Amino acid sequence: MSIEPFNRLVKLAARAFYDDITTKGDNQPKTGRSDNRGIAVVVLDALTRRQWVREEDLAKELKLHSKQLRRTLRFFEEEKLVTRDHRKETAKAAKMHNAAVANTTDGHRTKEGDDKIKMHTHSYCCLDYAQIYDVVRYRLHRMRKKLKDELEDKNTVQEYICPNCGRRYNALDALRLMSLVDEYFHCENCDGELVAESDKLAAQEGGDGDDNARRRRREKLKDMLQKMEVQLKPLMAQLSRVKDLPVPEFGSLQEWQIHAGAAGRAANGDSSSNDPSRSSQGYGATPMPFLGETKVEVSFSGVEGKEDLKSETASTGLKVLPPWMIKQGMNLTKEQRGEVKQGSKMDDSFAAAESSDDKKISIGNDDKIKDEYVKAYYAALLQKQREAEESAKKQQELLQTSISNGFSKSSSDRQVGMKSKREEDDEPDDDVEWEEAPIGGNTSEGFKVNDLNAEAPASGEDDDDDIDWEEG
Amino acid sequence: MFFHIVLERNMQLHPRFFGRNLRENIVSKLMKDVEGTCSGRHGFVVAITGIENIGKGLIRDGTGFVTFPVKYQCVVFRPFKGEILEAVVTMVNKMGFFAEAGPVQIFVSNHLIPDDMEFQTGDMPNYTTSDGSVKIQKDSEVRLKIIGTRVDATEIFCIGTIKDDFLGVINDPANA
Ligand SMILES: [Zn+2]
Repeated sequence: MSIEPFNRLVKLAARAFYDDITTKGDNQPKTGRSDNRGIAVVVLDALTRRQWVREEDLAKELKLHSKQLRRTLRFFEEEKLVTRDHRKETAKAAKMHNAAVANTTDGHRTKEGDDKIKMHTHSYCCLDYAQIYDVVRYRLHRMRKKLKDELEDKNTVQEYICPNCGRRYNALDALRLMSLVDEYFHCENCDGELVAESDKLAAQEGGDGDDNARRRRREKLKDMLQKMEVQLKPLMAQLSRVKDLPVPEFGSLQEWQIHAGAAGRAANGDSSSNDPSRSSQGYGATPMPFLGETKVEVSFSGVEGKEDLKSETASTGLKVLPPWMIKQGMNLTKEQRGEVKQGSKMDDSFAAAESSDDKKISIGNDDKIKDEYVKAYYAALLQKQREAEESAKKQQELLQTSISNGFSKSSSDRQVGMKSKREEDDEPDDDVEWEEAPIGGNTSEGFKVNDLNAEAPASGEDDDDDIDWEEG
Repeated sequence: MFFHIVLERNMQLHPRFFGRNLRENIVSKLMKDVEGTCSGRHGFVVAITGIENIGKGLIRDGTGFVTFPVKYQCVVFRPFKGEILEAVVTMVNKMGFFAEAGPVQIFVSNHLIPDDMEFQTGDMPNYTTSDGSVKIQKDSEVRLKIIGTRVDATEIFCIGTIKDDFLGVINDPANA
């Protein structure tokens, strides 16, 4: 189930229709500074890299004011491109969403702090691909129909002119113009026989200038229609390409969270192995709902009390890691490469061990998937590394301290988990598998190879469009 | 389009109607006065469906007539631009044809009749396709789209088109 063609559709539509949309508050002065044209496109693009995302988080990542973002999103909601969901959340529910973040920085502390937060209304948003497909098609249809109708005079009111006195009438006067004698319209003034304005006579008899204007208008319409066909061709092509593909469906926010959570727990490796580039894109990486995930849900709802809490925080941390999370691991890599290898190895076994609550699932993962996961993981790591290099030194230091805290804490957890996993693991070659993968990705060359794979779909996307966005 | 709305009207009643049947008299006079009329604002009043309330009467000086404010529910019919209607053709001529949808008169000019339909003069003037399979003449039923309305205080006149998808003859009495 590929999402890429649909994302491309969204990007094309964004540039075709929403490029010069401004969303302004009524009270804001219309100065050049407040001109936020193009924001709409940026927001849509950002959404193609995510699934359900909390609007505050999105605002932070886009460095937009949350009000401005909300205005844009509301606009897109009206345009039927985006579905939004608002709900009051307890700290725990909110945590479900950012547990991943909290878990890697300093999980336990954040958890306790979170519990004291009151109920807050949070808004989430997500692209509605099925609807986008329909909306874009409908929009094109309407555009084309409107132009064609005007071109063919379909909805114009016929005008009539009296050749004798030059008086004009239109079809709405028809009732008054009827004559009892013959089947023509007659002038109210002089009883002359009226002629339809587009007829030759009318053109000669003084409708000349008007007729010229009419012709010019027709030319213009034709021109517009032609331009539309040319400029929107890529969009139409993409529409037809997408036509027979299954539409990516994220479901409602709740459904998605359940599935994403389950996917993070049980099929972590699997999900990221599908597409390395996507694994580095945070929530966008969680693929569509899996089959056979029911088991996981049941086992979790069955567990109660402290154990439940613990496993939940831990396992949500294993959701596909958003880029900003993996960053910390990166810092470590730079400093202490050997440690990182170990760390990541632990992470992997952690992934397996964590789900030892639901052993069947973790064991069910075949080796290939694990292997792929490790590769993907390293690809993501490298991407993060670059980002990390850019970040200020101060930040790095800060992060490092917090990481080392979290790391030591969690690593002890992991050791325990690892043991339990080994005890219960039936597959003898499993350990070998874990050992192998990191070695493969150890050298920097190895990183680069993976990196190419990871980079191509993500950043190459916009560049390979041979479309002149400016004109559209 | 039909609407069910509440309207108000001041009814002037001659003193001879006062008595036990005052209320019935008011209502029947209201129906006589209002049903079938057309106001530019609300369209044609098709039928009164109920009386909301009848206010206190006010005696007019010098005449003895009494004015009652009456609130009543009624169904109104108001054509709109873009609306699709089914109508009966009442007259066909070289300029196009006239049709009626209930109380509304609609004119369809010949350039809004599909190009493949030609005007045929004669006893029964009509528009016919070249193969003769479709014919528009008096009493034909057509589905048309309103593309313009002229709304006066007491009159609504429409112009329509049958030059679009799914428009045109829906029942031809000649073939029936
Ligand atoms: Zn005249």
